[in-house]
Amino acid sequence: MTEELGAVALRTEGLSKSFGGVHAVDNATTEFYAGRINGLIGPNGSGKTTFFNCVTGMIRPDAGHVFYRDRDITRWQPHRIARAGLGRTFQLCRVFPRLTVLDNLLVAVHPPHPLAYLGRPRVASLVERARGILARVGLDHLETAEARDVSYGQQKLLELAAALMAGPDMVMLDEPAGGVNPALIERIAVLVTELNAEGTTFLVVEHNMEFMMNLCDHVVVFDRGAPIAAGSAAEVQQNPLVLEAYLGV
Amino acid sequence: MRNASDTSTPLRRGSSAVQALRGAGSGRLGPFAAILVVVAVLATWPLLAGNPYMLSAGVIVLNFAVFATAWNLMGGLTGYVSLGHIAFFGLGSYGTGLLVIHSEINAFVAVMAAAVVVGLLSLLVGWAALRVRGASFVIVTIAIVLVMLLVFQSWRSVTGGSTGLVVPRPFPDLLRPEHHRVFFYIFLGLLLLVLVSYLVVDRSRFGQALKAIREDEDKAQSLGIPTAMLKLAAFGISCFLTAIAGGVYALWFGDLDPIFQFDVVLSAQIALMALLGGVRYLFGPLVGAIVVGSALEYFLLNFGETQFHLVATGLLLVAVVLFAPDGVLALAAQLIRRLGPSATSIREESAAEVRAQQDARALAERVEEPGADATTDREDRR
Repeated sequence: MTEELGAVALRTEGLSKSFGGVHAVDNATTEFYAGRINGLIGPNGSGKTTFFNCVTGMIRPDAGHVFYRDRDITRWQPHRIARAGLGRTFQLCRVFPRLTVLDNLLVAVHPPHPLAYLGRPRVASLVERARGILARVGLDHLETAEARDVSYGQQKLLELAAALMAGPDMVMLDEPAGGVNPALIERIAVLVTELNAEGTTFLVVEHNMEFMMNLCDHVVVFDRGAPIAAGSAAEVQQNPLVLEAYLGV
Repeated sequence: MRNASDTSTPLRRGSSAVQALRGAGSGRLGPFAAILVVVAVLATWPLLAGNPYMLSAGVIVLNFAVFATAWNLMGGLTGYVSLGHIAFFGLGSYGTGLLVIHSEINAFVAVMAAAVVVGLLSLLVGWAALRVRGASFVIVTIAIVLVMLLVFQSWRSVTGGSTGLVVPRPFPDLLRPEHHRVFFYIFLGLLLLVLVSYLVVDRSRFGQALKAIREDEDKAQSLGIPTAMLKLAAFGISCFLTAIAGGVYALWFGDLDPIFQFDVVLSAQIALMALLGGVRYLFGPLVGAIVVGSALEYFLLNFGETQFHLVATGLLLVAVVLFAPDGVLALAAQLIRRLGPSATSIREESAAEVRAQQDARALAERVEEPGADATTDREDRR
């Protein structure tokens, strides 16, 4: 199966994190593939978001390793991981509420050297690129609005746009379909598919099964902090372990 | 689409008057000109002040304004509220005082030398303090002041302890009114320096990243912003400018006592000034310093050395939180927006504007539709 899916982009080895006595992530060894839309599913409380936060450096894992493109990124600062090309969005949509929609994108660009921090933020070429991305997600008419003034669905798109502005090789989406209406879910799915076709790798965490089954090339199923199954969407749906975890059969 | 975004005026917040208040005019030089105008207006005070007392009150208010603006470079831009900035003010004064007493160097060179040392020291302190956020950071900064107070009170052989440290005046020949006048202009120059520093930072990519940290630090990190380094840089600049203010204060006042140089209450009042004026505004801390500074002097004059001025300050703080949580300048901006010609509800709209709005609405609906009420969604998730 590994032959079919190609190179591994992101890999964890024995990743563990406990809070008090709760093993939120428990010895998780996983693989996610480059150029694919990878999925991570699991019932509520199965440790998906903690896993996600350990991978992106927001939480320090107790044990184990994270490899991104064969580099050990365990315990790296989150900003360094982002700069290595691994972008992310948050479960409950997070934008910079008092910055304009355009500035929400512009802050995501890394200055080439520290002195560039003294320059002005609105570099023409960057503004143009930001407008291109905003047009792509359908927010270009809102660029001067403050992010807190746009709707929740638009904030979700804005968050994705900001993640793209950083120019990542791989984007991790934490519940992109959470709390948004079906039309927007469809729109996000189309965007992810298109961007993937252009070469961006995705890892999507979601418990909306329908959304995931249509979208993902490869799905890892989590239960109690560790993967219990991995394979194509069709494969994992047939897996008795998965059915048990979800339905408690 | 470019067309729509260019003309959709309703989305643009505020008129040019509001932007001037913010110091964020669309022009490159507008806000710099605004700073010059404000400084020029303030420069008339020595002519208006009828007596040396009023002149010295002006010096104190300007000192507060410099201090509060320097504070705002950290507090306003990053959202890290430091109640311990007076530690760096006090260190600046004592550093300057000790250098002037024990060496032959020029008094103002001593101010800069002390400020550089304090600035470097603040990087060490900040490296530790900035590891925590929110209320924990506030408590750590208060602790820094209390540590300094104890050190400077106990280390009598060097600091003079509670007996005080007398700093020789840089212009020994000047009479008292002249002395106040000279220092008024020196502090005004300093105000120019901090306002320009704030503006330069505010309009740079550095400032934009600091604001991102203020809005959501985790999110900023996840987008690749090196938050720890940038916070530390802002803290260092803020403390350096604060230390300069402290050094000049030492030369002006000429007598240092740890209980005043490391006064936690004054430190909190500086933060209050910035909050009262409006931390998102270039001139916010200045306005706050003028309001609170004058009020403090007034209460002192009328009620003497009672604690009533503390009660009054508390009441002022309550009023601000209740009626102008974003500061008086935000309130003023709101009023201008409501009364100003460009923002009345019956403003005439051009056909192009209406069309642009309709386009925008149609697009927004395409994103939102159908059904599912996005606003309720949002409320639920909070």
